[in-house]
Amino acid sequence: MADSNKSFFTHVKESYVWRSMFRHGYADTPRNRILQISSNVFLHLHPTKVPRHAVRIRFTWCAGGVTFLFYLVTVVTGVILMFYYRPTPEHAYADIKYLQFDVPFGMIMRNMHRWAAHAMIIAVWVHMLRVFMTGSYKPPREFNWIIGVVLLVVTMLMSFTGYLLPWDQLAIWAVTVGTNMASATPLLGHEGPFSDLIGVDARYDMRSFLVAGKLIGGATLLRFYVLHCIFIPIIASILMIVHFWRIRKDGGISGPL
Amino acid sequence: MDSTTTTPNPSSEVSESTVKNDKKKITLSHRIHTWPYLVRMEFLTAIIVMLGMTVWAIGMDAPTEQPADPNRTPNPSKAPWYFLGLQEILVYFDPWYAGVVLPTLIIVGLMAIPYIDINPRGNGYYTFRERKFAISVFLFGFVVLWLSLIVLGTFFRGPGWNIFLPWEYWDPHKVVALTSVDLPYMLGARQESTMFIVGMLLVFCYYPGGALVGQLLLRDTNIYKQLGAVRYHITAGLFLMMFALVIKIFLRLAFNVKYIWVTPWFNV
Amino acid sequence: MANLHKLREEGCDPRNYTWSRRGFLGLAGWGAVLGALGLAGGSFGRFMYPRVLFEPQSLFKVGYPDQYEVNKISEAWIEKERFWIVRTVDGFVALSGICTHLGCTPRYLASENKFKCPCHGSGFYAIDTLDPYPGIAGVNFEGPAPRPLERFKIGLAEDGQIIVDKGTIYRSEKGQWVAPDAFLKYTG
Repeated sequence: MADSNKSFFTHVKESYVWRSMFRHGYADTPRNRILQISSNVFLHLHPTKVPRHAVRIRFTWCAGGVTFLFYLVTVVTGVILMFYYRPTPEHAYADIKYLQFDVPFGMIMRNMHRWAAHAMIIAVWVHMLRVFMTGSYKPPREFNWIIGVVLLVVTMLMSFTGYLLPWDQLAIWAVTVGTNMASATPLLGHEGPFSDLIGVDARYDMRSFLVAGKLIGGATLLRFYVLHCIFIPIIASILMIVHFWRIRKDGGISGPL
Repeated sequence: MDSTTTTPNPSSEVSESTVKNDKKKITLSHRIHTWPYLVRMEFLTAIIVMLGMTVWAIGMDAPTEQPADPNRTPNPSKAPWYFLGLQEILVYFDPWYAGVVLPTLIIVGLMAIPYIDINPRGNGYYTFRERKFAISVFLFGFVVLWLSLIVLGTFFRGPGWNIFLPWEYWDPHKVVALTSVDLPYMLGARQESTMFIVGMLLVFCYYPGGALVGQLLLRDTNIYKQLGAVRYHITAGLFLMMFALVIKIFLRLAFNVKYIWVTPWFNV
Repeated sequence: MANLHKLREEGCDPRNYTWSRRGFLGLAGWGAVLGALGLAGGSFGRFMYPRVLFEPQSLFKVGYPDQYEVNKISEAWIEKERFWIVRTVDGFVALSGICTHLGCTPRYLASENKFKCPCHGSGFYAIDTLDPYPGIAGVNFEGPAPRPLERFKIGLAEDGQIIVDKGTIYRSEKGQWVAPDAFLKYTG
């Protein structure tokens, strides 16, 4: 309390503990602007300086960033939903109803999860459209476009595996149609062309790999649950890391040369 | 770590000359600080999007139907909306093609875009004039085929997967004459063997026939010389496959054609 | 992998490198790593196919033949077990209620004498009184279905009831509908 003119917040900001967490001040100097980005693990995703057009919505549509935001929303709401949801045919449907009507804020978490998943798909398509229209897949960004296409597919797979989990009529029939397409895979599906040449049958084929048997049932639900909550999100996260990393390594956001 | 110092300038000669010629005066944009200019925009966008999401989630409930019953199919049964384009294609082709081969071709085709589009112009800015073909084909595939088929499947398909206008009553007993014939039969072939041969000829004339004829026609043009044989055939193949979809949809809707080529192993 | 360019400078023919000691050990090492990864991947693939599946039973007794009207299609079992009992003048057929296109359950529309699939609009014939054996029940005629509906094994149990076995299927396009157990001859 030596200097009574200083405000309480100034005291906090000058304290040893605060300085150990945030190493530079807040003064608006060019040096500090750079330090804000380069000394923060999250903001460090960005370069410290960007081309002027990178902040123009008309150029980027912010579609990639919005896609990532929707992904974060689905992850957060998804983890919250997992506190109540049990992936078995006996419980799944009842748990969804329980979440909707008996759990405070359960309905809005489920709505958020579902709509953000849909919005993420739209955002991915818009992002692809804008990257195509600006020719941003051209050298040196060819490989990042490929990662992006895989991410597009992975996004739709995440949404599709989640579709079964409410275990209602909408879920089971959409998944019936979807997985039956797998049984028509040439060579690897039992209904597909040439499958009898290598002895693929309904018990061991592409579809039973997804469905865990010949019929959609409890084993399918569990399998889709694991794919939806663990397997595909991990793959998506790894691909996103590569995708973001490559933006910077390939010369930052695209622009007129 | 910092990429600002190492901005690569690839395929430089051509693009620099086009940049110079371009009347839009594309100049090297000078760089601005990420903090606060970019971070501020991202923050604002995130807030606006989250506001929208919250309003959406409060105002509209996620659908829940009756509990799953493996023995009772709802009429109509629709896949998630983003797959309705594929479900629509399932009406025109057998599942092995519409559900497996075609999606694979779409994915592989998208991945191949940077390697077959070797036009150095239009890298990093909006332009239609400098890349008419690429943008037309992409928009045709994305908007006309993918998006409009989704709209068709979402809003215009009712019970029995019949076409209904959005304001029409969904009559599950609506009778639509769908009795379908195979194209070789329509062309007059009656025996199984001649139908097989006619169908095979039609398919092979289209592909690889169409691609080869195109190669002969374009052989002396600059476009072909720049592309080279491999790139040309990948492009032509993907292009013909995309167009085959349009042709099949037209044949089905106009003439009720079911298959073009029937074989003991698969039907196209 | 060694730098082939450097090898050439040292006067060594790169073609001999592969089977030199260093080259061979390198190949063997990579082979072992890839082999182990392949084995792990294959094991995971096998892991996803359990030896035993717990699926519902497939044998059903569906009552006595006289319970069914001639030239009628019985929907008694479609709700629970997904098959129709088709009774023609010559006997019985157990017709699967799984659309051969993508596995939805078709609707039986009695007034139009056909089965119609709600998913993609496939249509299948129901009964033709002029063709009682093996009958046209299940033959596809419209929409995308690539082949007729399947029929199940059908027979008479010792107590005189009809017995249906969903575990054995008969497919028309393989000529199996005329197999002895695909059709229960009964004219009583």
